[in-house]
Amino acid sequence: MNCSPFDLRDYVLAELGESGRRSVEEHALSCAACREELERLRLTQTALLCVPDEEIPQRVAFVSDKVFDPSPWRRYWASFWASSARLAFAASAMLLVAAFVWSRPAPVVVPSPAPWVDLAKLEREFDARIQAPIAKAVADSEARQEKKNEETLRAVEKRYEMDRKSLMLAMDENLSLMQMRMGTMVLATSGGAGERP
Amino acid sequence: MIFRAVEDADLIQKARRGNVDAYNLLVSRWERRVYNYLLRILGNREDALDLTQEVFLKAYQNLRKLEDAARFAPWIFRIAHNEAYSLFRKRRPESDEEVPERSDRGVTVGGTPVFPIELTLAVASALDRLSPEQREAVVLKIYQGFKFEEMGEILSCPVSTVKSRLYTALELLKADLAPAVKTRGVE
Repeated sequence: MNCSPFDLRDYVLAELGESGRRSVEEHALSCAACREELERLRLTQTALLCVPDEEIPQRVAFVSDKVFDPSPWRRYWASFWASSARLAFAASAMLLVAAFVWSRPAPVVVPSPAPWVDLAKLEREFDARIQAPIAKAVADSEARQEKKNEETLRAVEKRYEMDRKSLMLAMDENLSLMQMRMGTMVLATSGGAGERP
Repeated sequence: MIFRAVEDADLIQKARRGNVDAYNLLVSRWERRVYNYLLRILGNREDALDLTQEVFLKAYQNLRKLEDAARFAPWIFRIAHNEAYSLFRKRRPESDEEVPERSDRGVTVGGTPVFPIELTLAVASALDRLSPEQREAVVLKIYQGFKFEEMGEILSCPVSTVKSRLYTALELLKADLAPAVKTRGVE
């Protein structure tokens, strides 16, 4: 530590203004400790600067290639996005336009009165246009269904009659056959009895 | 100094419009400084040269992002700093600590010695004993002459951190080097 009005390291590192530098120099004239510290710092700096900069072994250079050069429009566009001032201006302008558009009063829409409606007439028209065709369609459908039922019934009765007739016919034939066999048996029996004494 | 700054700004404007010659002129003004900065923190000439080319290529590609042309110096050194640390990370991906390991220790820095070789060795050795952050702070201040504020910009840290690193480094270097310089009578 030292008693200098300013940091001696800042003095050596050239971070002090003109008045600060003068204050340090004046103080160092009368303070041996600070003078010694200043000397040590200067010697350190001198030692560091003993190692100078080197020359670059190879120069850095770029060549222009028109194929890869951006167009003036692209350069403008890129510079637009790179500039925060321009972006801020554009954003402000858009905000202003948006505020203007939204602040405009919306047009008032006056609702037109609803027309008077005759409900009874409407019901009559509804009946005439809708109900009547529906009733007619239902009646037609019912008639068709009834007719179909009658036809089915007739067919069933006819079939029943045919079955019955065929059954009667079969019974008659069986009866005739049985009578014929019985007659044959009677004749055979009477013929055998006459031959025996 | 002011005249030079204006000229650089003019070259930057021309380079932004696609003037490669203007950019080459700008590069020729800064390549030595960038190369030596990288050389002192990397400790390897090949890496320093490769990264110098990479730095100026990236700078050209991002030149439109530089809002204030007068801040070109800290801006280009910021790119160089990022490139150097990116190389450290690439070389040592498993390490949590980003420690730049100087590949050649000692005598790689410096051209034809105009000072006693012992002193050059002592400086290189003393710099090697510093932490990477302290060494980089010394390089930016002593060899590149940046102000604290600019160093904060380059290193992306507060000025107080920059000062702390530099003051600690100076104390260590003073203990190592001041006696050696005094005994050799270098002023």
